[in-house]
Amino acid sequence: MEIASGPSTDSSAARTIPIDSSSILDEFKQQNLPACKPVLKPSYVITTFFLLGFIFLPIGLTTLCASRTVVEIVDRYDSECVPGAFRGNKVSFIKDSSLPKNCSRILKVRKHMKAPIYIYYQLDNYYQNHRRYVKSRSDQQLLHGLKSSNTGSCEPEESNNGLPVVPCGLIAWSLFNDTYTLIRGTKKLSINRKNIAWKSDRDRKFGKQVYPHNFQNGTLIGGGKLDPNIPLSDQEDLIVWMRTAAFPSFRKLYGRIEEDLKADDVIVVHLMNNYNTYSFGGKKKLVLSTSSWLGGRNDFLGVAYISVGGSSIILSIVFLLFHIKIPR
Amino acid sequence: MMNSMNVPSKRSTLERKLDKLILALFGTLFMMCLIGAIGSGIFINQKYYYLGLDKGVAAEFNPSNRFVVTALTFFTLITLYSTVIPISLYVSIEMIKFIQSTQFINKDLHMYHAETNTPALARTSNLNEELGQVEYIFSDKTGTLTRNLMEFFKCSIGGEVYGSGVTEIEKGAAQRNGIKIQELRKSATAIQEKGFNFDDHRLMRGAWRNEPNSDTCKEFFRCLAICHTVLPEGDESPEKITYQAASPDEAALVTAAKNFGFFFYRRTHTMIHVRESCVEKMGKIQDVAYEILNVLEFNSTRKRQSVVCRYPNGRLVLYCKGADTVIYERLASGNDDLKKVNRAHLEQFGSAGLRTLCLAYRDLSPETYESWNEKFIQAKSSLRGRETKLDEVAELIEKDLILIGSTAIEDKLQEGVPACIETLSRAGIKVWVLTGDQMGTAINIAYACNLINNEMKQFIISSETDAIREVENRGDQVEIACFIKEEVKKQLKKCLEEAQHYLHSAPGPKLTLVIDGKCLMYALDPTLRVMLLNLSLNCTSVVCCRVSPLQKAQVTSMVKKGARKITLSIGDGANDVSMIQAAHIGIGISGLEGMQAVMASDFAIAQFRYLTDLLLVHGRWSYLRICKVIAYFFYKNLTFTLTQFWFTFQTGFSGQRFYDDWFQSLYNVIFTALPVIIVGLFDKDVSASLSKRYPELYKEGIRDAFFKWRVVVTWACFSVYQSLVFYHFAITSSASGKNSSGRMLGQWDISTMAFTCVVITVNLRLLMICNSITRWHYISVGGSILAWFMFIFVYSVLRENVFFVIYVLMSTFYFYLTVLLVPIVALFGDFIYLGIQRWFFPYDYQIVQEIHRHELDDNTSAGSLEVGRQRTAQEEGNPLPREISRHTGFAFDSPGFESFFAAQLGIYAPQKAWDVARRASMKSKPKMPQRN
Repeated sequence: MEIASGPSTDSSAARTIPIDSSSILDEFKQQNLPACKPVLKPSYVITTFFLLGFIFLPIGLTTLCASRTVVEIVDRYDSECVPGAFRGNKVSFIKDSSLPKNCSRILKVRKHMKAPIYIYYQLDNYYQNHRRYVKSRSDQQLLHGLKSSNTGSCEPEESNNGLPVVPCGLIAWSLFNDTYTLIRGTKKLSINRKNIAWKSDRDRKFGKQVYPHNFQNGTLIGGGKLDPNIPLSDQEDLIVWMRTAAFPSFRKLYGRIEEDLKADDVIVVHLMNNYNTYSFGGKKKLVLSTSSWLGGRNDFLGVAYISVGGSSIILSIVFLLFHIKIPR
Repeated sequence: MMNSMNVPSKRSTLERKLDKLILALFGTLFMMCLIGAIGSGIFINQKYYYLGLDKGVAAEFNPSNRFVVTALTFFTLITLYSTVIPISLYVSIEMIKFIQSTQFINKDLHMYHAETNTPALARTSNLNEELGQVEYIFSDKTGTLTRNLMEFFKCSIGGEVYGSGVTEIEKGAAQRNGIKIQELRKSATAIQEKGFNFDDHRLMRGAWRNEPNSDTCKEFFRCLAICHTVLPEGDESPEKITYQAASPDEAALVTAAKNFGFFFYRRTHTMIHVRESCVEKMGKIQDVAYEILNVLEFNSTRKRQSVVCRYPNGRLVLYCKGADTVIYERLASGNDDLKKVNRAHLEQFGSAGLRTLCLAYRDLSPETYESWNEKFIQAKSSLRGRETKLDEVAELIEKDLILIGSTAIEDKLQEGVPACIETLSRAGIKVWVLTGDQMGTAINIAYACNLINNEMKQFIISSETDAIREVENRGDQVEIACFIKEEVKKQLKKCLEEAQHYLHSAPGPKLTLVIDGKCLMYALDPTLRVMLLNLSLNCTSVVCCRVSPLQKAQVTSMVKKGARKITLSIGDGANDVSMIQAAHIGIGISGLEGMQAVMASDFAIAQFRYLTDLLLVHGRWSYLRICKVIAYFFYKNLTFTLTQFWFTFQTGFSGQRFYDDWFQSLYNVIFTALPVIIVGLFDKDVSASLSKRYPELYKEGIRDAFFKWRVVVTWACFSVYQSLVFYHFAITSSASGKNSSGRMLGQWDISTMAFTCVVITVNLRLLMICNSITRWHYISVGGSILAWFMFIFVYSVLRENVFFVIYVLMSTFYFYLTVLLVPIVALFGDFIYLGIQRWFFPYDYQIVQEIHRHELDDNTSAGSLEVGRQRTAQEEGNPLPREISRHTGFAFDSPGFESFFAAQLGIYAPQKAWDVARRASMKSKPKMPQRN
């Protein structure tokens, strides 16, 4: 073995070998890419937490305020609206179409409610997100009507008496059909039931030329009926209903009152208690709510922001104390 | 081939552990599915009339047969939760490892040997991270640690040390003590020649004549020129001649004599011709023929060799060279000063890792010689026990010797070997030397490599004891086997007890074990194996000498299987192949001795010292990166799937998807794929130079600190937390209207929202595990998040179920507030954990990071690896051995010496098995008779 003269000149010699002169490739191969090395020092931790708190607390307060300006009236009526005689067997009451389903509720407005006031119905223990339920619709049919034969997913509400159903599927079949009439004093409050669905749904998901056909004609009636003379794109109840909820407890928009309700107003609600939630023990609620820029009343976001912000500040102080007491 | 083994397929330990993790994930998947399936069986009920369960229902929802519902839902849920199994992980890891090995290891300039134009070569890409966890290195000696090149380096003549060179080990010691050694410039007199690396103006070019002890010098040189068994070959001129010697030591000594002006150029049966210059007068050259009367051969018991010669003027001299122990026993009384000084020099040479020989002579009177010669001839012609008799006769004349001095030969180590070994040992790696060489040679190299020093307690288990030899001479194979086995057992037991004693007495000395092949054969017996393992694991270094290639493999697998530690074998020759294959990682030295080792290896490097880079830099980084990649994959898939799992509880256990199919499919492929690969390629905790400067960092890999179950559980906990955050925020968002128009969000809006949060969070979490963030990190992380938005912008226009969801969402303030809040809440826990962990329970690398936080990450300076660490009190002190060293570095390697010399003289002497082995190994043919 021949020994080269002198000690290692390895690194300098190696530099001269023609490997790859392209610098970025070279940096890559030699693993020498420029990099910043964030080191999570205590001071950084403290500062980060402090900044976090500093930013989050105001956001939290604003959001909470927004949420708190919202006035909300919630009235559960499912059990109250069953006549005393049927309390023991609510299901037979709701299934008996010969019985009158009307019912009256009295709501008291505690705080001034500014228009628009939104009317929601809220269902609990209702699994609109069940796999069988979610897939039981045909978006093609909703858009193109009878032209679309792609309705296999609509099982078991695909056809009736050999004729296709429009809109098909369990979702449409189980359309919510309680109705509400609100009266303040002696005057009926007009409820605007237009424009309650998302515009994109109305315009692009439900056909303007698609009319209900052969709907709810079966032996089993699931829910509401539709006026066969109004195209689906204008059946906003249906459109709202068919934007299925993610969780078994959900609200859906029913309509809007476009005048203010003053504090201590008494509102009488005449409602038709048609919809069957009694079979599975679901609740029904009527909700009147105003809205802020953030939407309905929901303190959670504000509280979350405030608690994150607050705990960040506390943590930053605790860490700061640690840092001063036992510096590394 | 007896030494060949089946070629095993190698998988890294980390990957095996990953398999376990995957199994655990399968278990988790099974549990999740089981819970969901049972739930669905309980849930399904005709009372939910809106599900249309009363007429002609498919079996999977038919309430009348809940068992079938459970079973079918189980399978539905498997497809739903299958994301918990990170299938793409294997692909990603393969990709990362491939790039790591082909681009990083193969192209690293620090592992490029310019002189031979050899870069490092990763021959397999699936062991990269294993390099970061090695605890035991098994190294071959010749060609790996050493260059198999003996150089005359220093000498001590008449109590004076000559030679100005500094050995690697001295350099290392000096560096450790912070002393700067000035490399003396080679003077003009220096001669560059193979086997000669000596420079001292007092001796060269005849200058020795002016030394006060010039007569001793003359004897010294004559002894070198005469007392040997070398054959000259080629032209009889100093430049062209080559020496054929049984061992490179001999050649080095004769070469040295040549350079001192005593040029041995011809050998006949009875004569040695030496061309002597500057003996009588400066510049004068004369040819002198010495008559060789007797040669007393070298063997491992005698440990010396003598020549009786007659000068042309009739002077009768016996020249003798050998181990200091045997020479000193035979010295004439008196002249104690010289003996003392010379012994001190021997110790000095020994501790510098040099191989020493003592030279002595004796003037004989013709009468003494004649009477002795008769006995000698008698012994030589005896038919029985000739060797013993010859030895006995030799004893008669080899006495009353006069000490001349001693030589020091450097068994030239590969460049940087001691420093490399020292670094490795600081990294917690134990280096074992497995060599076919003799014990003395092996120990000497171990000293030279810093594996053994005089502070260490040595356990030597050798078959070269009188008792064993006695039994061997009787020749009964069965008896020999039994006896050696008993002997080995006794010794092992004794050593083990002693070792235990030392271990309990803190701070005990470090322990080393030296064992030879014959003993090893019995010690590897299943009954003794445990004892051997216990003993050797307690030792910081182990030297196995005279081992066969198969034994090398056996020792390797003993540690691999018995101790369950990660092993690495490094060798250069064909005799190392089985060891290379047996270890977890096999490394071949590419270059000189054939290609067999390289072909069998997993990595090939040009020099032993590149192990530092390969293990401490590439291995450690790879380990760190792969651990991160695995942990992160585990985390991101678990988080994603758990969100889905919680949702199942709210859907009547029906197995409804929370996310759209495409979201779910593309989650692993696009939205979270690239950044983790970037981490797998670019993450660096500390720079390469710091990795080498603080080898202790490597211990984290040996302890497997980054892929313990504890680490996995921590990640899992944060996964659960984060998934709950995503899920809870999704629930609350469904409670009320989300903008001033009072409209409500539907299922797909909420899932899109949650998915956005998951993608952002998971990508940001990745940035939190990075130790270094290049612009590629930003690009990939930003790109992934952006890709999600691009995707959903397009996709939500095309698909019906998620139609326009993103635009609906983006028309609400709520969306922006949530996207800001959720990732921060989700990462809050991780952030606190990381902060506290770094603050109060930092990893070693984090400490180093902070010490060197302000330094530029300059890899180029790593080339001049400087060892400037703080010395602990223990390490301070004398570079020389504190107590009187027993090690003086005698090693005289004469493979097949007797037979070699005999063959020259036309005498037949049977070759010994070990000689054959040695020859075989030198010829790179792993042929070796099996000895039983």
